[in-house]
Amino acid sequence: MTKDQFLSELDKRLKGFSYRERQDILMDYEEHFAIGLAEGKTEEEIAERLGSPSQIAKEMMATYHLEKVDHHLTAGNIIRAVWAVIGLGFFNIVIVLGPFIALASIIISLWAVSVSFTLSPLMFLVGIIIHPNHFLLFDLFSCIALCGIGILIGIGMYYVTKAVALGFIRYLKYNASLVKGGLKRES
Amino acid sequence: MNVQFKKGVLELCVLVLLNKQDRYGYELVQKISDQIEISEGTVYPLLRRLTKEEYFTTYLKESTEGPSRKYYKLTEKGRRYLDQLLRDWEAFTNGVNQLIKEGVKSD
Repeated sequence: MTKDQFLSELDKRLKGFSYRERQDILMDYEEHFAIGLAEGKTEEEIAERLGSPSQIAKEMMATYHLEKVDHHLTAGNIIRAVWAVIGLGFFNIVIVLGPFIALASIIISLWAVSVSFTLSPLMFLVGIIIHPNHFLLFDLFSCIALCGIGILIGIGMYYVTKAVALGFIRYLKYNASLVKGGLKRES
Repeated sequence: MNVQFKKGVLELCVLVLLNKQDRYGYELVQKISDQIEISEGTVYPLLRRLTKEEYFTTYLKESTEGPSRKYYKLTEKGRRYLDQLLRDWEAFTNGVNQLIKEGVKSD
């Protein structure tokens, strides 16, 4: 691979980075090539020793997305960070994607419970409209109680969702440092 | 050697190389690859990450031969991190060496 091939391949793989950041990254490699060439190495030799541009881009991506998720906690950011960390190693598919799907489905189902409890008075009203003779005081009170429980679960879930999302990001980071073979011990 | 394992050690190597003097990227890469076989390109993502985590600051310096070079300088935070890593590394290698000694002896 020549210098130009290496740089354009790397540039292509760095989609998602801002223009400035991409230029900054490419400049480091241009400098590397320039010094290597001045030392009498060939472009192919230098590119060969640098390794594959796609692997380099993957590592840049993983760091970049974890950082972004730190600043803005949105569903899209979290999913992108999950993908980036998965990209670091195949074995991560089990370790990251598994818990992610499990946690996400638990949270979604709890939200569904909360919403359906909260809306139960509506069902009671529909029931009265369909069977006007079937008015039961017991049904009325139990659906009011369910509505209250639903609202409480909803409020609780708001905090739980936030806490789980933050916890999961910490897990992602720990995982990324594990995959990168970091020596940092969790203390 | 295992790729992931090597990457963790790389962080320690970079920090320790900057302990006594500021160096530029190419120099760091060469110093490391003189001793350990690595994919040289992976040093730069590492340098970027450690810079973002404020372990290094960078500055450009003109060079007599060729273009100006980006130098990396260890910050106080980076120095503390290096101390921590060195302690971890020592505990780790001592443990592994002990296991190796026992393993070889019982064979």
